[in-house]
Amino acid sequence: MLKRILFSIFSLLVVIMVVMFLVYTAINRNVIFQSDDVWNKRSGNERSMYEYSQFQKYGYLDFVNYTSFLQSKYYAIYGDSYTSQKDYIADKNAIKDSAAFQNNESVQEFAQKYASEGFKIKYLAPITYKSGKVKPGGDAYLLAERERSVFQRLLTYLRNFITAETTKDVQDPELTDRYVRVEKDPYSGLFAVVGSGTTHKYLLYFDGRFPFIHQNWLHLNLGTSYTTYRGMEITTVMTSSTGDLKTERTQYPAKIGTDEYVETAIDFHSLTYNTGTVSASDAANFPDKYTVYSYKRDSLSILETSFLIGLMATVLQYFLGIPLGIWMSRHKNGFGDKLGNAYIIFVMAVPSLAYIFMFSAVATTLLGLPYKFANTEVRVLAYIMPTFSLAMPWIGSLMKWTRRYMIDQMNSDYVKFARAEGLSEKEIYRIHISRNAIIPIVHGIPANILGCLTGALVTEQVYGVPGVGRLLITALNQHDNGVIIACTVFYTTLSIVALILGDVLMAAYDPRIKLSGEGGGGR
Amino acid sequence: MTNEPVVNNMENKDKFVIIGNDDIASEKIIAPRYSYWRSVGRVFFRKKLNIFLIVAFILILLASFVVPVFCPYDPMENVTNAATFNMSPVKAMAYFGKSAPPLKWILGTGPQGNSIFYGLFSSAKTSLLLAMACAAINMSVGIIMGAVWGYSKKFDAVMLVIYNIVANVPYLLLVSVLVYVVGSGFGSFIFALTITGWMSIAYFFRTQVMIIRDREYSLASRCLGTPIPRVVSKNILPFLTSVIVTLLATELPMYISMEVYLSFIGIGLSATIPSLGRMISQAQSAFRTFPWEFWPPVLVASMVTIILYLLGQNLADATDPRTHM
Repeated sequence: MLKRILFSIFSLLVVIMVVMFLVYTAINRNVIFQSDDVWNKRSGNERSMYEYSQFQKYGYLDFVNYTSFLQSKYYAIYGDSYTSQKDYIADKNAIKDSAAFQNNESVQEFAQKYASEGFKIKYLAPITYKSGKVKPGGDAYLLAERERSVFQRLLTYLRNFITAETTKDVQDPELTDRYVRVEKDPYSGLFAVVGSGTTHKYLLYFDGRFPFIHQNWLHLNLGTSYTTYRGMEITTVMTSSTGDLKTERTQYPAKIGTDEYVETAIDFHSLTYNTGTVSASDAANFPDKYTVYSYKRDSLSILETSFLIGLMATVLQYFLGIPLGIWMSRHKNGFGDKLGNAYIIFVMAVPSLAYIFMFSAVATTLLGLPYKFANTEVRVLAYIMPTFSLAMPWIGSLMKWTRRYMIDQMNSDYVKFARAEGLSEKEIYRIHISRNAIIPIVHGIPANILGCLTGALVTEQVYGVPGVGRLLITALNQHDNGVIIACTVFYTTLSIVALILGDVLMAAYDPRIKLSGEGGGGR
Repeated sequence: MTNEPVVNNMENKDKFVIIGNDDIASEKIIAPRYSYWRSVGRVFFRKKLNIFLIVAFILILLASFVVPVFCPYDPMENVTNAATFNMSPVKAMAYFGKSAPPLKWILGTGPQGNSIFYGLFSSAKTSLLLAMACAAINMSVGIIMGAVWGYSKKFDAVMLVIYNIVANVPYLLLVSVLVYVVGSGFGSFIFALTITGWMSIAYFFRTQVMIIRDREYSLASRCLGTPIPRVVSKNILPFLTSVIVTLLATELPMYISMEVYLSFIGIGLSATIPSLGRMISQAQSAFRTFPWEFWPPVLVASMVTIILYLLGQNLADATDPRTHM
């Protein structure tokens, strides 16, 4: 079992590495500037500099600007007044002369220092009009840049994959009182783990939202979105709730105990440390510098939406697929069996998109169900179509396998023997056949949940459901490499967990199967 | 008849000639002649549905590979004439009148004044070509690799690791990301679907080969000194004919579905190649307002896949020697 888990982790690493390699080498890196307003506004050398800074932000390269090199050099000598020093200004202006800039000592020092570290020195010559006047955005720049290899990128990604908050996280000398302790939480009425010095104030707390207990201590870092949610952490994108603001009558932390109430959507459990200056109004409302917050919204997060629909579809498919399969096997070659087989062939052969559209056309016209996820008044109705569409192919395959297993078991010797002993057909089915036939079905449960989650790649796009599948497809269309890698990691991890869980479940259900042992472990 | 005395053999010895005995002939067992493929045909054509399926399949092939030659599809034909965009069948027939080929506008026009009816044939051609190319590559590579994989222990160890890694990634996700990486186009599409697609087929074959490899008749054959390539090609592969056809029956429709899905999410074939998926994806936002643009490709895709699937399944049944009784 341990070997199996280790191998799974190894394969996850390989998958991340291969996908990173493919995505970062094959895709033109300039796609990150698609529909980037800053990039569009800038021109000439300024645009190039912006590109370098963005490439660094998204992990393509490391680069150092000559000006910042000078700043740190002269700050060390003169302190805060370095900007008015003559030698600083002379060095700074040296690069404006494209013919003679290399004679400057600081430039030489800069070039030597970074060339020895493997950087490439690049000089962006000033872009001028014929008169010699510099064009807008045409200022000269000197910089050193070094490409990051995929391997380095992977290491950084993995190093930051899971981070835990500590009381040393906040870099603020003013904050002297650093602790983590259990306090009474005025917002839930229960207790909460509260930190000072950590990025989040509430590390563990309860509230009325599923799953009711939440934590801000461990963070999974899947990377940063490039284009779809520019610059946002993908974990945040996936887990933060969407929809309209949900206002509540509540109190600011500093006002607790008074009778001053406010109508606000602020989620006081989301407070993070403010490293800047606290405004006067915030200072009145908050007892400490934890004043940065997010809002409560009334819809589920991307992740929750996908999981909710996926789980509902899984429940639905077992609820329908198994009884139908059993019924078909008991009325073999009857009309119902033939109808069931026709359905199975239909969902096996026809492209899922085709039957999803047929189904939605029928259901929306006959039952008047909403056909797009967004435009519906009653939220519950919006889930019906995606759930059913997602379950359709799996109901078919469950029917097929259940029927097959049942028929196989019916012809086995032990059933014939049971019949000879005089057991009724009902008893044979209930006690003997279903127990054996259910084993491979149990094995498939986690894989089916996974299937429902990946199947969402189609249904979420058809119905416009804001879920992980749609996130991935939008990312593919907008060249959002960060999200693509994050979604690959997400789906692959789920898949690995599902495969392992399937085997564990089967071993738990069937005493004849052992996971470890001579040659039995692994697959 | 006259009653002559019985002639003594010994006395007429010289009348007989010794012809020796034929060792080979004595080994022969008289059995009815059995031809495998003739039996397959007999079982297959016993069902009336199969004849219908064969005819339908030939019609589909003709429609998608011959019709586009005579009725060339040009999606940009009326792109400058905005009056022809999104015309219903009735309007289009009236608008183009008798000057046009008789059936060209029977299904109306698309968002750029293109003929839906002609588009169907060219699109079906693309989809079928893609599916056939992918199936041919995946099946042949899969079967050959599977046979080697099932036989060689060293190869097995290496391939299992690779397979277990690849199998962890959901196929739909894998193909989406690959198509995204290699870019859109006919060739890159085939590349994305085949680069790992053969692996599951090969894995399936590995297991089948391993099962049959250790059967008694196969062991006996090896004891008698039959070389391994001959064991594989004569003892094992014939046994797997029906398995191969069953696989083909599910693979072909699957590739068509893949094309439809990838074009639908916007990363499939390039915009200039007409395909069923592209037609569906172009019309999906307007499937209520312009149903004549949306439903024909959906129905054609369903029809083609169902016919391929059923034909394959029934052929697989017929190729199984156990049904030849």
